[in-house]
Amino acid sequence: MTFEGGVRAALADVQLRGALRQATTLFGDRRGTALASVPDWEGARERARAIKDETLLHLDRYLEQFTSSAERAGARMHWARDAGEACEIIGRIGEVLGARTVVKSKSMATEEIHLNAALARRGIEPIETDLGEYIIQLAGETPSHIVVPAIHKTKAQIAALFAEKLGIAPTDDAAALTAAARQALRRRFAEADIGISGVNFAVAETGTILILENEGNARLTTSLPRTHIALMGIEKVIPRFADLEVFLQLLPRSGTGQVLTAYQSLLTGVKRRPEDEGPDELHIVLLDNGRSRMLASPVTRQSLACIRCGACLNACPVYRQIGGHAYDSVYPGPIGAILTPQLIGIERAAHLPYASSLCGACRDVCPVKIDIPALLLHLRAQVIEQRAGKSRLLERVAFRCYAAVMARPRLYEWTMRVARILRIVPPLPAWTKWRDLRPLAPRSFREEWRVGLRDEGVS
Amino acid sequence: MIRTDDARGQILRSIRESLAASVPLDAMAHAPRRHSTHVPPGPSLQAPDLVPRFTEQLSAVGAQWTLVRGEVEAARALRRILSDAGAKRVAGSDAPLVARLLPERLTDLSRDELFICDAGVTTAQWGIAETGTLVLESARERSRLASLVPPMHVALLSTSRICASLADALARVDVASHAVTLITGPSRTSDIELTLVVGVHGPQVVHILLLEEEAQ
Amino acid sequence: MRVSLFVTCLADQIWPSAAIGAVRVLRRVGCSVEFDDRQTCCGQPAFNTGYRAEARALARRFIEIFEAADADAIVSPSGSCTAMVHHYHDLFEDVAWRARAKAVAERTYELSTFLVNRLGVADVGASFAGRLTWHDACHGLRDLGLKSEPRRLLRHVRGAELVELPNAESCCGFGGTFSVKHPEISVAMLDEKVEAIEAAGVDAVVSGDASCLMQIGGRLSRRGSSVRALHLADVLASTA
Repeated sequence: MTFEGGVRAALADVQLRGALRQATTLFGDRRGTALASVPDWEGARERARAIKDETLLHLDRYLEQFTSSAERAGARMHWARDAGEACEIIGRIGEVLGARTVVKSKSMATEEIHLNAALARRGIEPIETDLGEYIIQLAGETPSHIVVPAIHKTKAQIAALFAEKLGIAPTDDAAALTAAARQALRRRFAEADIGISGVNFAVAETGTILILENEGNARLTTSLPRTHIALMGIEKVIPRFADLEVFLQLLPRSGTGQVLTAYQSLLTGVKRRPEDEGPDELHIVLLDNGRSRMLASPVTRQSLACIRCGACLNACPVYRQIGGHAYDSVYPGPIGAILTPQLIGIERAAHLPYASSLCGACRDVCPVKIDIPALLLHLRAQVIEQRAGKSRLLERVAFRCYAAVMARPRLYEWTMRVARILRIVPPLPAWTKWRDLRPLAPRSFREEWRVGLRDEGVS
Repeated sequence: MIRTDDARGQILRSIRESLAASVPLDAMAHAPRRHSTHVPPGPSLQAPDLVPRFTEQLSAVGAQWTLVRGEVEAARALRRILSDAGAKRVAGSDAPLVARLLPERLTDLSRDELFICDAGVTTAQWGIAETGTLVLESARERSRLASLVPPMHVALLSTSRICASLADALARVDVASHAVTLITGPSRTSDIELTLVVGVHGPQVVHILLLEEEAQ
Repeated sequence: MRVSLFVTCLADQIWPSAAIGAVRVLRRVGCSVEFDDRQTCCGQPAFNTGYRAEARALARRFIEIFEAADADAIVSPSGSCTAMVHHYHDLFEDVAWRARAKAVAERTYELSTFLVNRLGVADVGASFAGRLTWHDACHGLRDLGLKSEPRRLLRHVRGAELVELPNAESCCGFGGTFSVKHPEISVAMLDEKVEAIEAAGVDAVVSGDASCLMQIGGRLSRRGSSVRALHLADVLASTA
């Protein structure tokens, strides 16, 4: 579906719009309350951004340090240049182990590389265990929000889905639905050969990976199966263990308004003694897939500071109206509008930087101060320079004329005077279908200035 | 065959090339953030404030708690907590304290046996007062699954092990642990129409049994 | 205090009362005002749509015209156009042009900032009977930090009662070409703003950007509302 088609469908979906309004308002309010418990929120943002900047400017060094630290602790490291290579690496690990089922905790990176489809092609069944992702998987859909993937579904829709797929009696009780999902997944956790997770932060100093969650599914995914595979974008690394603190202050508050999520798992390598609990093998897959290119300028490099909190989605007035699916991109909302064109190329995503009114609300709430509007403008300039996406011939001609007229004040005045006299109204059905169009004033300011305002009240 | 050496080399090269290309642009941009990454010390909680702050936060995050003095009282309280919850099959971690307080706990369980337990009892290595958080370190105790699989988790924590803040706790944990777990309240989700449901894949009930040392 | 007026093409042609009002208010508080009629457009529409070359050419024109202005300040009745000037230095790689851009930007003020922060004036001797509400235009709010200044000025208007919108800071959906490239989204955003305005029971919605006023006013009139859309300068110049 095209962006326009997706937008129209979303705007026509009254239930979706209500759900989005409720969700974004609620998360926005909760974030506001949660900030108050940090004595110096702005200072924390600055600190976090400084850590990210420091890391990104020396990313090669920190990745190498992370790799040695993690290997010293017993992890096996893998490097994937692109999505296909990452799927190949993970798929081969599964094949070598003879894996039949894999449990997954929530990971946007695994969505980005379309891992589930790749595993299924190898005859390995991937099972999403995060409740929202589980719902989406049962429904055969994609997530519409980074933090609450099934926000677009009503209780009734979920109840019908569970009745069909899990054979439970329909109920509109969220607790009962959750219990049904828990029940259905217990055995899958226990029997899975491999657990696949994402990574929120990776500490270079110690080789530790940190995973945040509320449900406990990530803990189960990373402690029950004998093999754990963690997929991380190369930008997830941070220098020191102590740096985790500021990110733990910012991420839960920004994303859901919680002081802390229910669980943080800090995993460093594999167990030291065979009788310890946890997997025998830990594989960490480092994913580039276009990220290294983003380091090439300060304006694009900041995209890699993102900690995937979702605050920008909740603040965005466009996202609020159309939700995640309309963006038709793994990452929706403001962060999606800047990441996706850089990951998959501007040619395929030329419309995304324009899906914004440039209001800047996202920049206000970003915990690591990414200047999203500046990036949107940078990408728009790229679209025009590289002539990416659909033809904009009329628009180009219009802006050339505009530039030519505005460079010549007499021509500008003359053009506007003619338009005024002939009452020329540009045909703008995209405006006038919904809004009255204010006409040219009977006299322009400069005409008023010349006929009297210049000398008015001046002795 | 996957030439991962090639991949590593190529990725690092791509990073270095991009960073090199960025140098003139960085020079032109606004001065880079020169903010210190040093964390200013926050207002620190004094020792006598730690317990009340901790228990206040536990309640705020939906955890239950009981304060006891000495092991005799603790053993009694533990049994009462478990029987009130109707917990019959109780899994224990390998901590000596758990063995002392609840000799009848189940240990060396198979996976299937653990999955049908009603409760898991472990200790916690640290508590964090600022957030009502428990810290479990795998190097000190095998508590990972007992604190996760059964629907109820009871955690024994000495009040002397409560630290003030997250930063304090992070400074104290030993990364020789292959797994350090921070637990703040019971498991939860709002994925269904933003309705809060407590108890998803992790425990539905978390009960902290706080032990004050008996005066010597 | 000598002011050179940066009229903005939108105010010049479609909302001249905003610029006329600005001139009268500035004179009322003791400034002399000049208008250099060589000015045309600051280039914002081109810049925002990705036409940097066109924007750069207009930026050079603006800088050349206004750096020669024999004035203490350049004042504009538009937050977004002022913000554009403040971002001019990003358009240039040449060190000399960047410096010139920054120098002009330092002297360029949006009207309410100029009155309240530069002149220290909150009461401009205005009278306007009616219930008003303020819409925070995005660029003024987030790029220039305009929040308290217009409200202070409006609170000193005799006869005016200022009520606060619950979503005063929410984007009205204009966003330049966004309003016609993605009209349905634009109007969906707009309707949340307009519904709040209608619920506030006001006589007029006031803002510091004619673009927002076109968007909001255009929808209000299409919906048959009696609520008027007024520019800040319309209200401040009023002595009725």
